[in-house]
Amino acid sequence: MIKLAKNFVVGTWSLIKGLAVTIKYFFRPTVTLQYPTEKQPMSECYRGLVGLRPEKCIVCYQCVKICPTACLAITHKQEDKKKTLETFKYNMELCCFCGLCQQVCPTSAIIMTNIYEISVYDRKKLDINLLDMKKYDEWTNTTIK
Amino acid sequence: MDATQTKDIYTEEFLINMGPQHPSTHGVLSLELTLDGETIVECTPHIGYLHRSMEKIAENRTYTQFIPFTDRLDYVASMNNNLGYVMVVEKLLKLEISERAKYIRVIIAELNRIASHLIAIGTFAQDLGAFATPLFYCFREREKIVEIFDQLCGNRLTYNYMRIGGVLTDFSRDIEEKIKKFIKYMRPKVDDYDWLLTYNAIFLARSKHIGVLSKEMAVNYSITGPNLRASGVKWDLRKDEPYLAYDKFEFDVPVGKNGDAWDRYKVRIEEIRQSLRIIEQAIEALPQGDVAVKVGRIHKPSPSETYFRTENPRGELGFYIVSDDSVYPYRLKIRSPSFSNLAVLPELVRGLKVADIVCVLGSFDILMGEIDR
Repeated sequence: MIKLAKNFVVGTWSLIKGLAVTIKYFFRPTVTLQYPTEKQPMSECYRGLVGLRPEKCIVCYQCVKICPTACLAITHKQEDKKKTLETFKYNMELCCFCGLCQQVCPTSAIIMTNIYEISVYDRKKLDINLLDMKKYDEWTNTTIK
Repeated sequence: MDATQTKDIYTEEFLINMGPQHPSTHGVLSLELTLDGETIVECTPHIGYLHRSMEKIAENRTYTQFIPFTDRLDYVASMNNNLGYVMVVEKLLKLEISERAKYIRVIIAELNRIASHLIAIGTFAQDLGAFATPLFYCFREREKIVEIFDQLCGNRLTYNYMRIGGVLTDFSRDIEEKIKKFIKYMRPKVDDYDWLLTYNAIFLARSKHIGVLSKEMAVNYSITGPNLRASGVKWDLRKDEPYLAYDKFEFDVPVGKNGDAWDRYKVRIEEIRQSLRIIEQAIEALPQGDVAVKVGRIHKPSPSETYFRTENPRGELGFYIVSDDSVYPYRLKIRSPSFSNLAVLPELVRGLKVADIVCVLGSFDILMGEIDR
């Protein structure tokens, strides 16, 4: 009987203690975001989808060499000593968003965009031709730095 | 029905599968439970559902290329995994890093330790039935840390921040301020958890004297990290085998008494406080200088064998590298703490009730990404 009474008192006291904490935060402003309608701004250096500034690319193949998952593929044309970019394929399916390609690029031709809502219905859409960046308009938040 | 009649009733053991799709197995872990009524007779964990052959992948990647893969081992504490890997490569290359990089690494590793422990505490409370409230409180605090990391390296979960020879980016004034603010913000929150959870009657009833891991057993099963310290063994690599700048900071190693589920939880709470102490000292004494030594991206170490271990939030994370005369490692072995921590589970849950297995598993804070690799 004494044990039961003791349990009752201890249980009630810890209930009050717990409620005190939750009530304290009940009157504070909310910290949650209503996601699809409200969106958190990504940081400046956020690593979203890979983007390209084709005019800056010098076809040095550094990004292809460093990519741990081999998601980038380049072909080029050789005219005398000058290399020009022919295709620049980016397989989003393999990309792990590590940002190594952006860090090794000597001319900052490769950039990481702020796009993070990247689900698609068609698997073919995961294979992206980076020379045609208009495709990125399909996704929201297409701010390219 | 009298006693003679019950003797004649034929009963047999009952086998059920818990997982791999089970919310409280913390990933894709499958437990094969043999039950006698409600009591567990035998428990066999089956692993391998998340196997990505990381060690084999490492043999075909350069030393720099493998850093993003270490993020995916223990994805709750990516920074600590990055750190463990780059430290072993630096040891292999006999590379000395700058003082500022060491301090930054300590701050970042401790911040991620707090984030990892917050998840451990939140999910443990949820496993015991404290639905949503403690977990969401923990995530609210974790969000602050993740924001700092996002600003620092551009990602929120798989950071890829540590580099061989230093770190990716330097702290800006803004980030330093944010970390200082976070320490002030976090201290009262830990006290809140004490009020909300630690001494709550239901929480104590569910976790006290459950899954008692004795000192000898913990050492025999090579349990490490907070789980070992909860059993009363004072072993912390940051104190006993200091790496980076840990020998310059004052902090205590929290130790438990009984080695039960509650002790394992309590040690984590105390570790958050100690981590905050370390960060506070490190950010005050942050030296000036470069954050990265200039080394190439391709490393070609001489043939040798190297092992290095660091204190992860879950225990000792060790990397063993055998290098040959190429740019790829010949062999890379990962000693993950969760693997050993899971191995002791069948011993602990024998004789407990089914509801307690969730409590014991939650208190061990295992992570399947690390176990399967």
